Formats: sequence, structure tokens, C-alpha cells
Amino acid sequence: MITVNINGKEIKLEKAVTVLEAARSAGIKIPTLCWHEQLEKYGGCRLCLVEVEKMPRLQTACTLMVTDGMAVRTETEAIADVRRGILEFLLINHPLDCPYCDKAGECELQDLVEKYGPTTGRFKEKKRRVTENLQDPVIVRNMERCVMCTRCVRMCEGVQGASAIGVIDRGGHSHIEPFSGNRYNCEYCGNCVSVCPVGAIMSRLHRHSYRPWQVKENIETVCPYCAVGCTVIAQVRDDVIKRVVPRIGSPVNNGMLCSRGRFGYEFVGDPERLTSPMVRKNGVLEETTWEEAIGLVAKKLAEIKDRNGGDAIAGIASPRCTNEDNYVFQKFMRAVIGTNNIDSTARMGYAGAQAFIENIFGQGATGNIISGLSNSDTVLVAGGDPTTINPILGLQIRACSRKGGNVLTIGHVRGLRNFSPVELTPGGGRETALLERIVSELVSRKGLPGSNTILESRIKTVVDAAGAGKADVSEKDYPDFIGKLTASGTPAVVIGKDLLQSAGSGYKLFLLCAINYLINGRLYLLSDHANEQGMLDMGCAPDLLPGYRPVGYAEFRKRYENAWKTKISERPGLNIFEMIEAAGKGDLKAMYVMGENTVFNLPDGANVEASMRKLEFLVVQDLFLTETARLADVVLPALGWGEKDGTFTNMERRIQRVRKTVNRAGMEDWRIIAEISKNMSFGMNYAGSEAVFEEITKISPLHRDLTYDEIAAGNVIYPYKGEPLRGAVGEIPLNKPETASDGKITLGIDRVLFHSGTLSRKSPALVKMYSESVARMDPGTAGALSLKDGDMVRISSKSHSIELRLSVDGEVEPSVVLVPNIFEGKGALSLAGNILDPVLKAPAVCATEVTVESVGKVSS
Amino acid sequence: MDIKDIMFSQAAIKEIEEIRAKYPTARAALLPALYVAQREFGWLSPEAYEAVSEILGVPKAIARGVGTFYAMYKNRPMGRNVVQLCTNVSCMILGAERLVDFLKNKYGLEPGGTTPDNRFSLVIMECIGACGTAPAMLINDDFYENLTEKYIDEILEKYR
Amino acid sequence: MEKVLLKNIENPNSADIAEYMSVGGYQSLGKALGRNPKDIIDEVKKAGLRGRGGAGFPVAMKWTFASGDPKTPKYLLCNADEGEPGTFKDRPILEKNPHMLIEGMAISGYALGAEYGYIYLRGEYPAAKHILEKAIKQAYDKGFLGDNILSKGVKFHLAVHQGAGAYICGEETALIESLEGDKGQPRIKPPFPVNVGVFAKPTVVNNVETLANLPYLIEIGGETYSKIGSPDCPGPKIYCVSGHVEKPGVYELPMGTNLKDIIYTHCGGIKGGKKLKAVIPGGISTPVLPPDKIDCQMDFVNMPKHGSMLGSGAVIVMDESVCLVKVCYRALKFFEHESCGKCTPCREGTGWLRSILGRIEAGQGQEGDVDLLLSVAGNMIGKTFCPLGDGAASVVQNFIKHFRPEFEEHIRAKACMAQG
Ligand SMILES: Cc1cc2nc3c(=O)[nH]c(=O)nc-3n(C[C@H](O)[C@H](O)[C@H](O)COP(=O)(O)O)c2cc1C
Ligand code: SF4
Ligand code: SF4
Ligand code: SF4
Ligand code: SF4
Ligand code: FES
Ligand code: FES
Repeated sequence: MITVNINGKEIKLEKAVTVLEAARSAGIKIPTLCWHEQLEKYGGCRLCLVEVEKMPRLQTACTLMVTDGMAVRTETEAIADVRRGILEFLLINHPLDCPYCDKAGECELQDLVEKYGPTTGRFKEKKRRVTENLQDPVIVRNMERCVMCTRCVRMCEGVQGASAIGVIDRGGHSHIEPFSGNRYNCEYCGNCVSVCPVGAIMSRLHRHSYRPWQVKENIETVCPYCAVGCTVIAQVRDDVIKRVVPRIGSPVNNGMLCSRGRFGYEFVGDPERLTSPMVRKNGVLEETTWEEAIGLVAKKLAEIKDRNGGDAIAGIASPRCTNEDNYVFQKFMRAVIGTNNIDSTARMGYAGAQAFIENIFGQGATGNIISGLSNSDTVLVAGGDPTTINPILGLQIRACSRKGGNVLTIGHVRGLRNFSPVELTPGGGRETALLERIVSELVSRKGLPGSNTILESRIKTVVDAAGAGKADVSEKDYPDFIGKLTASGTPAVVIGKDLLQSAGSGYKLFLLCAINYLINGRLYLLSDHANEQGMLDMGCAPDLLPGYRPVGYAEFRKRYENAWKTKISERPGLNIFEMIEAAGKGDLKAMYVMGENTVFNLPDGANVEASMRKLEFLVVQDLFLTETARLADVVLPALGWGEKDGTFTNMERRIQRVRKTVNRAGMEDWRIIAEISKNMSFGMNYAGSEAVFEEITKISPLHRDLTYDEIAAGNVIYPYKGEPLRGAVGEIPLNKPETASDGKITLGIDRVLFHSGTLSRKSPALVKMYSESVARMDPGTAGALSLKDGDMVRISSKSHSIELRLSVDGEVEPSVVLVPNIFEGKGALSLAGNILDPVLKAPAVCATEVTVESVGKVSS
Repeated sequence: MDIKDIMFSQAAIKEIEEIRAKYPTARAALLPALYVAQREFGWLSPEAYEAVSEILGVPKAIARGVGTFYAMYKNRPMGRNVVQLCTNVSCMILGAERLVDFLKNKYGLEPGGTTPDNRFSLVIMECIGACGTAPAMLINDDFYENLTEKYIDEILEKYR
Repeated sequence: MEKVLLKNIENPNSADIAEYMSVGGYQSLGKALGRNPKDIIDEVKKAGLRGRGGAGFPVAMKWTFASGDPKTPKYLLCNADEGEPGTFKDRPILEKNPHMLIEGMAISGYALGAEYGYIYLRGEYPAAKHILEKAIKQAYDKGFLGDNILSKGVKFHLAVHQGAGAYICGEETALIESLEGDKGQPRIKPPFPVNVGVFAKPTVVNNVETLANLPYLIEIGGETYSKIGSPDCPGPKIYCVSGHVEKPGVYELPMGTNLKDIIYTHCGGIKGGKKLKAVIPGGISTPVLPPDKIDCQMDFVNMPKHGSMLGSGAVIVMDESVCLVKVCYRALKFFEHESCGKCTPCREGTGWLRSILGRIEAGQGQEGDVDLLLSVAGNMIGKTFCPLGDGAASVVQNFIKHFRPEFEEHIRAKACMAQG
């Protein structure tokens, strides 16, 4: 126990902290400028100088550690003089433009000057002048306001890990600049903006449009973009989101956001948002009333059900919608339509992988705490760049490296390149052999732990197979890689979708599970949708009921049947690919798509479109008139993120409240469905989303007894007072693929940090960061095809071809062309084939062979 | 877009690898590697920083921050020969300022400037440790002390 | 006194290992390796050796701290940044007697348990870099450096790390940052380098001259060494004298030699028989002294009693022709240029002081400028992160303290009186 005396107040402390922290704990405020709770201590601004008994000089409270018996004074006349002096120094070069500055009202310098008094300009020389910089899409810089606290730089380097900006030059000439000296060209996370104490770097999105004190509401909700599920605070005025900021102390993202979360909120007010239902009349979609639209949907679905049976109808759920929306939707399909034909784009990898992993390691095996990654001694990354797919999770891996942990990657991971990764880059064809070798070597170095006999028998099969484990590993870093992996004590394995969408993905995933088992690691499965996990939890799968109860077991079904007061089909439904196929064949008559753009987000969009056109009746419920909505017979506009209440479940299985931030006319997805249901004589009467959730907690073993209030209080990770988790079960299918590496060019999905596709392309700020899809290819491959950087190229597969600009980039692996799936008509998935992995049932998008040819040089 | 050609010569790569081996971290090799880069590229151009960043795995904005902190790195193109004249107190009181004027008047060499023929650049130095033989200067790596106008004429002759 | 540190430097080949060995070089290393490391530290303690980098910190104490820290490996850094204006005492050692430094470092490394050493050499000494690198190679070849020094199983590796023009890198934590590949900005202390230094390992930073004392100290023993010069801080000391004296240069004299004697006896007095106006005794950061205050013993203990400091022992002598406003202005220009920019008072204050001095010097001074200078300096002193900023402010304070009328005259006359 340490006792310190600050301003006459005795403070008892468990452990040594800084004088500043000690003072804060006792409610004593010491002025600071360079200090920030998220950053390493610096001690540069000198505003926090305090008097300490028995110390000859003033001391900076932000750096001095308390010792027992220390006596400190933080506010004396002498100290006030010192602070006035320091502020005078800072104002030497500071413009006096508070009336024009958007920071006014939340500017730390302004507040300090108010408190300690300005000193009337004794500085007679010219002030430094720097003009406003508007080069960046989302950040505006007024560097003459900079006080050189370096908070932005310490944030960008030490926490964000982007190291995009630095202090350039020295002494009085030092200033903050990105490498280019002009445009940031960075990750645009805006975390530097969060920590800048003055108006030097600010978000451009609300430039000159509001003042901090005009914000009427601060509404805490969850980011709509990815499965990390960052806490965000929407600042609202006049029913418009003016700004989105993080909250320091929130468990997932603790004061950090990525570009999408911070700047991607403008879709909420997009003028192209659908507001009125539409019905196809004489071949064209026309606006109509809700009554007519809902009546029509109810009538048509009932008709088809009567005529062709419930299984002639299928539903596609949405990983962007809330748990409540998805729950009601699957209930509608099962209870009202009478089919298990419910699935989603989670079938593109996440759902299959999840099931596969849980089958081996038990339910919730991938539900590990994101922030825990930074405390791992080793993180193995395979199949994608976590810093772009799940950026805030990526930061934890960067932090792990910074703390001295090992980062091991299979494939080059651009976002980790400056974090001393040990990389193995086997290239598509050799990945399997490499993973087999790693498994074999781990077995021989560490032995089998003996805890999972089924898994071990499979591992033995692999190890004993001819050729396995003997793969010729040419990478010079292999010994280092395997050494670190073997020696790791608290490892984590992070798996991305690129692996799940490659040829032989099921077998590779098995090998990764084997590695994870042998090193006793924790698994993380990346997901690029905010509620992909929650949607699956809600039973939006053809074979699983809410809470993952298999539909095929009568005793499980019974419970749901009792709750819903109706029979549930025992036959598992079609998965999303089977639905498209059935639609194409004419077996499926109607589809109800909620919040999904199937034409764009499934492989071979042309085929998806052609198949869906064959449907007798298509309902699409969405925010925008997407490629898919344009095919519909009825389009139903739903309330979107920011406009409704509900819950999301992130990849950790943390259930979080999403909240309404602005008022818009319209209905939530679940409410529209409930209305249709009523029209089909199945009463669904929920007063609000909370009532839906209540039903979920009664029915899903994972969510038992949970309430909105408890969720709001934070840290709700399921199972919540739930039944014990299902342990590992039975069969582990092994399906070793033929590996063929014949030098053909294959497609890869480029996962761009600034985009998610559907929502991001309607967010002007994100579009400005990345406004045109480009294809990327390594110099060798491009050279062999006589392609140059900047060329327009046509990329063609068996199914489709698109034209894009080419960027030649040394960080891409050879014989691959990376294409993003963001903008209409330019999506990578439109090229992809539909060959599904036999185990995961995910399409081997990355095995799509393509040709790339130049269609003309582009000037500039 | 960033095309990653190998931007250093083979010899420079080897030199940097040797330097790298003297330290426990790659980052510690940054200052010496910047010296190599400025020799290879003539000055610390954006390409030079990128090359260093690439070879050491140090983010380029950081490399540039470090490179611009130190006065002796050339962050802009300079003449073939860099005249580094000390004007600190010991040199100043023994006439260094007169020599600055002399260089300006006779050679058109302004502090911080470069002659039109690119033969010389002039950099004003803080003390270069030759105060006992002041005024003093360095041209490139060579010390010259006890300077006078006449002596400077003779010395500059040697540099083309 | 016989020359110790500058021994043999007139010999054009003094930097060669053969020459160095011919005058007894590397014998102390052999002697030291035959003893227990702790004994060596005791010997240094007995000798009373204090650091020659400016602060005069007891060497044995620093070594004891570092050797007592359990973390390994430990590092010994030689501070060869010699940037304090007026200072050129380390340069002759580096260029003429590199082996004395190398031997000193090998002995020190052994004593404190450091296996790796770097010489942080200022960028402005390119010739010294080549000389040192050649000498290090010779020492490796002869087995005075390496994994198994003199076949005694002692390991010490040494390399030169070249700075790139930043005075602040002379400050030991900034030096460490710079060696790690960062900007030379001082670190927060504690932790101190002896515990968490370069690469987060226990680290000792010593000045060139300090380390070059070791071979001699070991040769004659601490007891005998402690009898040289001032009893409180004994040993030989290199004074470097510049400016208006008849014979400027480096003088190796017993620590505590009288400043007046240095100027008038050793250096032959004021050049051309002119009148003395001011002396900066220990490098530009140390307080200037008027002619009537120079009768003082030049050592760490006595100089503060006379209102100044020994600093680096760099004596700058100024005769009556010198404009002190201009000197002060030039000094502040230096500090402005060298401020690392980390802390507010130094980053902003040095430039402000320079601009006020600049306008006075240019004949545009204003009424009240002297008080403004004192006020700005007062707002800096004691508030900066490291001693550089304090030094800058104290230069202004001391020039005004002793020569205020000259500043005021400058403002009033709008021109310099001294230079006519
Ligand atoms: C601004 C500043 C500059 C310094 N410059 C030097 C220098 O050039 N050389 C030096 O040896 N010590 C210099 N020092 C002192 C070092 O910080 C350190 O005390 C010294 O190297 C320790 O060595 P010593 O104990 O052998 O003196 C400087 C200190 C400060 C605050
Ligand atoms: S927006 Fe993010 S990446 Fe860009 S400079 Fe700021 S902190 Fe760095
Ligand atoms: S831009 Fe802002 S955060 Fe960055 S140094 Fe300047 S004042 Fe500090
Ligand atoms: S996109 Fe993901 S990582 Fe980024 S702010 Fe949103 S939830 Fe967080
Ligand atoms: S006083 Fe401050 S700004 Fe000046 S050199 Fe020291 S740390 Fe840097
Ligand atoms: S807050 Fe303590 S020095 Fe800046
Ligand atoms: S002052 Fe010019 S060399 Fe020292």
C-alpha cells in the first residue's frame, strides 16, 4: 500500500502509478496536453508540472511515479505562473482563430487558456503560417494549430500501428507530416483525429457543419461493418448523425475505430435510400402502399405454398440484420411457410468452417476474446489479412508483435509487414503440402497430447500418408517459423476467408485445426459481417434451429414447436447454392431475400441472376435498390442500421445492443415479416425488438434469461446462464484434394480496408478513400503477360468478364490476380465458379482460373 | 502505384546487410543505412527512404522522420561537394562570418544554396570540433582549419 | 606533468596498434583481465575517477549499478558525440590515440560485465570513423577484442555507430535512442540507462576521455591516480582552449588547474596583447565569466563556487573586440538549431530568445527587451525536459547578469559599440 498526499488529500494506492493517475483517482484534475490515456507517456508539453516535496525541480505529473509518503501540490500560484508561461510558448505560433475552428468547445488548449489566462502577445515576430490542407478525403488539417504534443504520431505508430505520419525536422521546425508530405495515403482510421487535443487534425465529414456543444444526443451502438462489433457513439443533431466516435474503455475496441466504423455512417442519410415499397407492374417496379405490398406478398406466398408446398419457397437471411430480424425471419420460414429452406451468405465459408471447427473442439470454440490476442506469445495467421477484414482485431495482432510476441503468417499479410512477421509464402498449390509438413513436424517435435482421440487418429492418417510431412520447404524462414510455433506457450490461430474459399479448403482447415490442437491454441475465425455470428445463432441455416439445435432431432424440434405452436419440418432445407440451383431448374418457385444482395455476393452473379429470374415470385427487402432488388416482384424497404433497435453478436459471441440513432418512417425487417405473417394468419405480435429478444431468450439455450438491460450493462458473452456447451462430437471428414499447380492465373478476392461492399459503397467518405476497383498483380506475372501498371485489363473466367485498371504490386503472390468485390459490375465474385468444397460446402472462389489481357493503356 | 523493384545496388544491399549484423535489431541499422542511401541516391529522396524502409522493414514515414531530424542527412539534392563551414562562437570571433561573405561574393555560394554548376553546396555548421584551429570547415569528409580567404581559394580548387 | 591521454600524439603513426603497443599499450588490459572485475571497479573507485562528459558523475558508481542489474547482455557506450561548442578534446584521442580508447573500453567492459560496446561518434568526425574502424580491426586481429580476449574467455565486441549531426545526441538517453535508430530525443528517467538502456538492457555511457583514462589508471593503480590534481575529482584533464589566445589548442593538465593559468601561462595570454572581455570556461552551455572572475580552479567541484561549471573543459576566450550580444545571439541560434523539439519551453523558447537577440543585434532592439529576455528565459529554466533547454536559458541569464549594460547600450544606440 502506497500513501501519497496530493494537495493535502491522503490517497491510498494498491500499486505505484503516476502522480497524474493518482490525482485522477482522487478526482484531482491536473492539466495535460501531451498525455493521453491510450498512449505511452511522453512528458513533452510540460503543462502537468507539479511541486513535489524534497524534489528541487518541478516534476511532470504524467511521468513521475508515486512513492510512499510523497507530498505533491498541483495548484499553487507558482505553478499557475509556470503553466501560463508554457501556454504562452504554445500560443507563439498558434493562430487566434477559435471563432472559426470546429474544435472550439472541445479544444483542450482553449480550455487551458481559459483557466490559466492568456498572456497578451509578447511575441512580436511573425507567426508560422500553414494553409489548411484538404488533400485527404476524410481528414482536414490545419497544422498551424498544432501544439506538437505528438499524440497523433504516438497513436498512429504505437497503437494503430500504421506509422503513416511522423514528426518531420527538428526543434522549432518540427511538424507532423505523412510520408508524402501531403496526402496521408494511410489507413484512414481517424484515430489520430480522436486524440488531437486541438483543431489541427479533424474529420472532414462534419467540417463547418456543427459545433460540439450542439450535439443533442450521444447514442452508444455497434458498428455495422464487421464482426468485431466495435462500440461506437453516434452524435446526433436534428435527426442526422453528425459524427461517430469510439468510447475509451469499451471492451472490444477501447477508444479505437477503423475507417469503416468511423467514417462509414453516411449511408444512413443517403438520398438513394428506398422509402416506399415497390411492386412490379407490367414489368416495371412501381411505388405502392405498404398495404398493397404486404398483402401481395402474403397472398402470393400463401398461393405458392398451397400449390407447391412450403419447400418450393426459400428465404435468405442477412448477416447485416439484427438477431431479432433474423430470428423472426427464420421463424417465419419455418413456422409460417413450413420449410427449412433458410440460409445466407455465411455459406461462403464462415458457416461451414464454424461447424467444422465446433465439431472438433466443441461449441463456441472460435469465440475467443479479441483483445486477448495481444497477450498471446504467438499468433499464426492464415488465409487473409486481419488488418483489413477485421481491422480492430488486426490491431491486437500488431500489439502482440509490439509486446514481443511472434507473428507467423502463411502467405504475405500486407497489414502486418512492419510487425516482424515470419512469413511462409508457399503459393496456392503448395499450401496444403506445407501445412501437412507443419503438422507432421509438430507431431514429431511435441508428440500427441492424447486428449482428442478422434482428432488424433485423423492426424495420424495424415502424418502416415505417403508424401505428407516431406514437403520440400524452400522458405529460408521455415526453421524459424516452426521453431517459434513449437515453442509457443499461449498461441492463437487466426483463420481468414481466403483459405476457406480456396481449393481443398476443408482439408486445409482440418490441418489448421490439427496445428491448433497440437500447439494448444485458441482459434479466431474472421468474419466481414457485423452479425454473421448472430444470424447463425438465430437458426438461419437449413439444418439448425436457433441456438444450434439440429432440425433433424425430434426431441429438439419439439421444444420449438411448443414455443411456436406449430409443426416444424424435419427435413433439412436447401443451402443457398442449392436454392439458386433449384430456382434455375424451376423447382423453387419463390424466394424471400432479406437484406442480402445475392446477385453480387454469390459466385457467378450472372447465373444467380438468370436463376432468380426464373422464380415465379421474388421478394427483396433491403435499404437500396440493389442488383438483386431490381429483379424482385416486390421490394420492401426496411429500416437500416442507425434507424432501429436490436442486438448484434460479434465473433467473440458478445451480444451487444444496437440502437436507433435517428428517426425514420418505416419498419424494421422483423416487423415487416411479422406483418406479412399476420396477413398469412399466423399471429406474430411483438411490441418491439425487446419482445422479440425475450422470445429468443426463452427458446435459444445460448441466450437463456438474458435481458436488454443486462446487455446494456456490458460484457454479455454467451452462453449466458445457458446450458452447457455441446462438446466435440464424432466424425471428422477428411477429404484430401488433388493439388494441381499448373501455372494458371487464379482469382483472389482483394479485401479492401475501406469497404464492405453493400453499405460502404453508399458511404461517400469510404468511396472517396477508394473509389474505383483496381486489380492487383505481382510484377513477374504482369510482366509475363506484358501488362503494365495502370493498364485497363479484361479479366475473364468461364462465367464472366470484367474490365478494371491494373495495379502492379510486389506484395501480391505470383500467378494471382486480386480483385475486390465492392462496386457494381466490377465484382470479383461475378467471375468465380461454383465448385463447392465437399466438406465445408463453401465455393472455391480462389481456385477460379482467369485470363487477363490488356484492353488499352490508360494515360495518367 | 508502388512497384517494388530492387532499388539498391547489389553492393549497397550487401553493405547494409553487413551493417545490420552489427546490431541486435534491424531498426538500429537505420542511421547507417540512411548514409548508404544518401550516397547511392545522391540525397534522401522519397525513393531512397522507400528503399531503406523496404530493406529494414521500418515504416517509411518513420524513416523519413528520423532522416529529417539529423542535420547531416541531405534531404534535398545537393552539389557534388558540400562545403560545411562552422560559424559557431569560436569560429565566429575569428572571422567565420567574413568567410561566409567571401563564399557568397566570390563563388555565389549562399548558405543552404548550391552553385548553378552544381559543384558546391554550402551548409552552415555548428561547432565541428576544430575550434582551436578556427575558423574551420569540412568539405565532404575532409577537415580544413585555420581558414583564410586565400586558403579557401586554394582548397576549393581541389574540388571539381 | 607527463602526458597520459595525449601521449605519443606527435608521432604521425600514433593511431597504429604497433606504435601504441611500443609505448606500453594494451598491457593494462592484460593486467585487468588477470583480476576480478569487481577489483577493477574498486580500483576505479579508489582512483576517484569522474566522468569527463560534463556532469562529472563518479564512474565506479555507474558501473556498479549496471553490473548489479541481472539483465544481460550489458552494453558499454562510448560517448564520442563531442558537440558542445568550443570542445575539441575528444577528437585528438579518437584520431591519434584510438587504441587507448579501445583498450579503455575493453577494460571497462570487462569490469562491468558488458559484452558489447559501441562508439557513438558524431557525424562531423568522418576521419575519426575510418581511423577507429581500422584500429578496431587491428585490435580484433590481435585478440584484444572478440569472443575470447587474450584467450581468457572474456568477450567484448566493439563497433562504431556514426551520428548524423545532432548535438542533443550527446545527452546519454538521446544517444541511446539514436543508436536504436530513432530520433535523438531524451527519454523519461527513471528507468535509468544502467537498468534499461540501449535495447532495453543495462547500459553504461561514458565519455571518450573518461574511458581513455582507464589504461593509465590500471597501470598506476587507483591510489596513485587519486593523487593527481584536485583531490575531489582527480586525474589528468584535457582542456581545450579557443578564441583570442596566443596559443589555442588542447592542453593536458592536472584536473583543477587554474583558469587564469591556463589562459595566461599555458596559452600565452590574450592574442595580440588585447584586453580580455569574457571567458566561457566549459563549453557554450556553461555560464560566461567576466575577466575578474577567472581566478578559479577548473574542476567539477570548484567551478560552481565561482558561478560557472567545468563542463567539457572547453575554454573560449574573447577579447575586447567581441560583441557579446552577437555571441549570445549566436549561442541561442545554436540552441534553437539543436533543440530536439520534444518539450514546449525549449522548442518554442530557444527560437523566441534567438529572435529577440537577433533584433537587438541588428539594431532593432526595443525598450524592455532585456527584461523580456530574462522573463522568457525564466519561463524555460527548470521546466524543460532535459538540460539543453536549461542551458540555453542560462546562457542568456548569465550574459545579461555580467554584461547587461552592453545589451542595453546596444538597444539604445541601435548598433554595436564593441565592433564600432
Ligand atoms: C545536452 C547535452 C549534451 C551532452 N553532450 C555530451 C557530449 O557531447 N559528450 C559527452 O561525453 N557527454 C555529453 N553529455 C553528457 C552525457 O549525457 C553523459 O552524462 C556523459 O556522456 C556520461 O559520460 P561520463 O560519465 O564519462 O562523463 C551531454 C549532456 C547533455 C545534457
Ligand atoms: S488516420 Fe489512422 S492511419 Fe491515418 S494517420 Fe491517422 S492514425 Fe494514422
Ligand atoms: S496534430 Fe494534434 S495531435 Fe498531432 S501533434 Fe499536433 S496537436 Fe498534437
Ligand atoms: S468495421 Fe469492424 S473493426 Fe472497423 S470499426 Fe467496425 S466493427 Fe470495428
Ligand atoms: S530541453 Fe526539451 S526540446 Fe530541448 S533538447 Fe531537451 S528535451 Fe529536447
Ligand atoms: S501532460 Fe505531462 S508533460 Fe504533457
Ligand atoms: S566553433 Fe567552429 S569548430 Fe568549434
